[in-house]
Amino acid sequence: VIRLTVNGTPHELEVPSYRTLLDCLRYDLGLTGSKEGCGVGVCGACTVLLDGKMISSCIALAVFADGRSVTTVEGIAEDERLHPVQQAFVDSGGFQCGICTPGQIVSAKALLDTIPNPSDAEIREWMLGNLCRCTGYYKIVESIRAAAQRSPA
Amino acid sequence: MMAHRIIGQSIGRIDGIGKVSGESRYSGDVTLPGLVWGKALRSPLPHARIVRIDTSRAKALAGVLAVLTARDLPDILVGRRMFDMPMLARDRVRFIGEKVAVIAAVDPDVAEEALALIDVEYEDLPAVFDPVEAIQAGAPILHANPAAYEGALPERPHPNVQSVLRFKLGDVEAGFREADRTFEHTFRTQLDHQGYLEPHAGVVAIDEEGRVQVWASNKMPFRLKELLSHALRLPPERIRVNLTPIGGDFGGKGSLMDLPLAYHLARVTGRPVKMLMRYAEELMAGNPRHPSVITMRTGVRNDGRIVARRVKALFNSGAYAAFKPAPSVNLGGTGMGAGVYRIPNLLIESFCVYSNNIPCGHARSPGEPQMVFAGESHMDMIARELALDPADLRRRNLLRDGDHLANGHHLEHVRASDTLEAALKASHWSEPKPGPWIGRGMAMTHRHIGVGFTNARVRLETSGTVTLSIALPDTGTGAHLVLRQVAAEVLGLAIGEVEIEIANTDDFTTDSGVGGSRVTHTGGRAAFHAAEKLKEQIQTEASKHGLSVSARAEIAQAAAKDGRTLEASHFYDAKAHGAVTSFTAQVAEVAVDPATGQVTVRHFTTAHDVGTIINPIGHQGQIEGGLIQGLGFALIEEMKTEEGRISTLSLGDFKLPTIQDIPPLTTVILQDPVGPGPFNAKAIGEGSISAVAPAIANAVADACGVRILDLPITAEKVYYALREKVAP
Repeated sequence: VIRLTVNGTPHELEVPSYRTLLDCLRYDLGLTGSKEGCGVGVCGACTVLLDGKMISSCIALAVFADGRSVTTVEGIAEDERLHPVQQAFVDSGGFQCGICTPGQIVSAKALLDTIPNPSDAEIREWMLGNLCRCTGYYKIVESIRAAAQRSPA
Repeated sequence: MMAHRIIGQSIGRIDGIGKVSGESRYSGDVTLPGLVWGKALRSPLPHARIVRIDTSRAKALAGVLAVLTARDLPDILVGRRMFDMPMLARDRVRFIGEKVAVIAAVDPDVAEEALALIDVEYEDLPAVFDPVEAIQAGAPILHANPAAYEGALPERPHPNVQSVLRFKLGDVEAGFREADRTFEHTFRTQLDHQGYLEPHAGVVAIDEEGRVQVWASNKMPFRLKELLSHALRLPPERIRVNLTPIGGDFGGKGSLMDLPLAYHLARVTGRPVKMLMRYAEELMAGNPRHPSVITMRTGVRNDGRIVARRVKALFNSGAYAAFKPAPSVNLGGTGMGAGVYRIPNLLIESFCVYSNNIPCGHARSPGEPQMVFAGESHMDMIARELALDPADLRRRNLLRDGDHLANGHHLEHVRASDTLEAALKASHWSEPKPGPWIGRGMAMTHRHIGVGFTNARVRLETSGTVTLSIALPDTGTGAHLVLRQVAAEVLGLAIGEVEIEIANTDDFTTDSGVGGSRVTHTGGRAAFHAAEKLKEQIQTEASKHGLSVSARAEIAQAAAKDGRTLEASHFYDAKAHGAVTSFTAQVAEVAVDPATGQVTVRHFTTAHDVGTIINPIGHQGQIEGGLIQGLGFALIEEMKTEEGRISTLSLGDFKLPTIQDIPPLTTVILQDPVGPGPFNAKAIGEGSISAVAPAIANAVADACGVRILDLPITAEKVYYALREKVAP
C-alpha cells in the first residue's frame, strides 16, 4: 500500500512492487496524460514532477512516490484556465502530434518555476531530455520564450 | 492575390487544447470494461524453421487468458498491397522480431511474464542480409513463390526481388553516346526509423452486436477497414474504425501491425484487447525507412549539360513486402533519381529486395531522402570534376516550364530557378567563407502535391455555429485547423464559429486518409466545396424567411421548425497529379573539427516554392519538423544491424535529434498561388526533408575535401577519411 498525492488529491492504493509510477498513474489512477514513448527514460514523454522535481515516471517505481507529491500534465492548468506555458504552446505551435507535449509542458513549467526568464541557451539546456519528432524544436523554444514573457514575473 | 480574412492567419493550435492539458485520448489511452492485454513473442533468429512451439507453461500461468500460435489462426496472409506476411509465423521465421505467438493476459506484466514461458524450438536456415548478395545466384531464398502472393507483380528477375519500378525518358544508351564525359558513383543510406514517439497502439473489441470496434494509431481508417476485412474475412460493415489522435506518423502508421492478432485474442477471450508495442519492438519490427544502395551514372557535355542518366537502386526491403502501400510495391520516390533537372535520356530502375532483415515500409517522402542524397551528392561531385560552381551546374540543367518529370508528368509554373537563387542569396553563397574548415553545400529537390479523396460534411447548428464533420485522423500536422480555416473563410465566419467533429468509418463511405502530402489539398477542397454548398443553402433559407444571411441562428431555427437541417456534403476526388510541383533549395554551412571529424551545422537555409499558405504557423512547423528529421538522417540516426540483429534497440542507442542539435535557420518562402488545394494552396509536409543530407554532405566536402558516400555522416567516418587523405 502506498500513499501519494497526485495533482493535489491524496490517494491510497495497493500496487505490486514492480509497478512503474507511469503505469500507476495511467492505469490505476486513469491519468493518461503522461505517455510512454521510449520506456527507458530517454524521450521525456512521461515526465512528471515529484515534489517539484522532474523525473521520468516510466523508470521510477510507484513505491518510490510513497508519501510524496506528484504533478502530472493534468495538474498544470489553474482551475479552468490553461497555464501560461500551455497557452503559449497552443499560440506558438509548440506541438503537432502532441504525444511528447505532456512531458514538454511539465518540463517547461519546471523550468519557468526555476528560471523565470531563461535565455535560449538555458531553454535548450533544460529541455534536452524532452524529444520531439514533429516540430524540430524551434517552436518549442518560441513557446517557452513566449510563456516566460506572459508569466507574472 | 485575393484578400482573405481567415486564410493566411497565424492562428494557434486551438484544435489541440486537449494535447496541452493531457485530456486527448490516443489509441493507447483507450480503456474499456474488461480490457485485457495482448503481447507478442518474437523470433530471436533471422531465418529458421519452427520445429515445435510449446505453450503449455504459458497457458498455465495465473492471469493468462489465451495463447495463440499460427495453428490457431486461419492461414491468411496480410499486407497493404502485396499480401505476403503471416499474422504469426507459420513453420518458418524470416527476420528477428517476427511474431511467433501471442498472449492475452489480465495485465501487461503478466503477459510479459508469460512470454518467457513459451518454448520454441528452431532449426537455423541459411540467411541473407545484404541486398546485393540477396539477388546473386545461389542466395538463400526467402519466399518459395512470391509471384503467387496476392498483389504481387509479375516481373521478378530473381526470387528475392519483391518488385521492380522503372522510369524511362528518351533513349539512355543513345544519350550516353552524346556525352563528352561520364561519371558514376555509388551511395548507401542507412536503416532509419520514422521516430514517432508513440509506438503502435491498438484496441479491438467485439461489441454486443458482433461488430468489431477498432481504435488504432492508423492514419487511413477506411483502408484499415478494408485491410482488416481482408485479413479477418469479415464483411467490411462488421468493422468500425474509431478515430483517435495519432502520436506521430511520418509515413509509418498505415499498416495493420498487431490489429489482426488483437482481434483474434478478443474473439477467443470475449474481452476487449489492447496491444501496445514497446519502443524496442518498434525498432525491431516496426516498418522503418528502406536502406539503399544507389548507383548513379550521368553523361554530360563539356558545358555541363546533362544528356543521359542511368540510376540503379537496390532497396533492402527485409523479409516481407507487406508494408508498402503503392501498387508498384516499390518506392515512388525513386523517380527523384532525375532530381530537379531536365534529363532527356533517363533510365531509373528500382529493385526492392527480400532479405532476412526487418521489413521496411513508408517514411516521410518514401524513397526520396535516399535518392536525393545520391543525386545531389553526385551533382556536386560532377561539378567539382568539371571545375564548375555547383550552382552553375544546376542552373544549366534545371527543369523549366513544359519539361517532363521522370514519371512523364509535364510541368507548369516551374520555379526551380527562382527557388535556387533565393536560397543562394539568403545563404550568402557567393561571399567568402568565414574561416578554414568551414564549408557550404547546396541541394535541391521538389515534391508533388498529393492526390486522393476526402469526404466532408458541414452543418449549420441552431446556435448559429457550423460543424465540420470529417473522418481524417489528426496525425499532428494541424490539418483539422486548416480545414476549419477553409470552411470559416468560405462561410464568412470567425474561426471559433466552426467546430470540427471527428467522424468514424460508419459516418462516411470512404476517404483516402492521411499521406503523400495530400490532406490540405483533398481535405481542404472537400471542406471548401461542402462549405460553398452550405453557403448557398443559407442564402436560400434566409431569403425564404426574410432574414439576413448573418442571422445564422435564426435561419437554422427557422429551418428546424420546418423539420430540416441545413447541411451539405462534398466528396472530392483528385485522381491524377497536376502539372504543378513545389521546389526546395537548401544551403548548409558546416564546420568540421579536424581533430575529431565532428560536423557542426553552423547555419541552414531552406527556400520553398509554395502555394497560398493557409496557416503560417502550421506551414512553418512542417518545414522545421521535416528539416530536423532530415538533419537526423544526415548526421545522427542509424539502426545498426549485424546479421539481421538490430543492436540499437532503444532511443538511447538509436538517437534522434534533440533540442541542442538544431542549427540557426533561415527560411525563405516564395509564394505563388497556383496549387490545386483550396485557395490555390500546395503541399508542404514533405518538402523540407530530402535535400538536407546532400546539402550537408556537400558542405562537408567543401569544408575539408572529404566526400562521404554513405549516411549518416558520423564524426568517425569524417575522421578516418581525413586521416586517409593526409596519409600518402
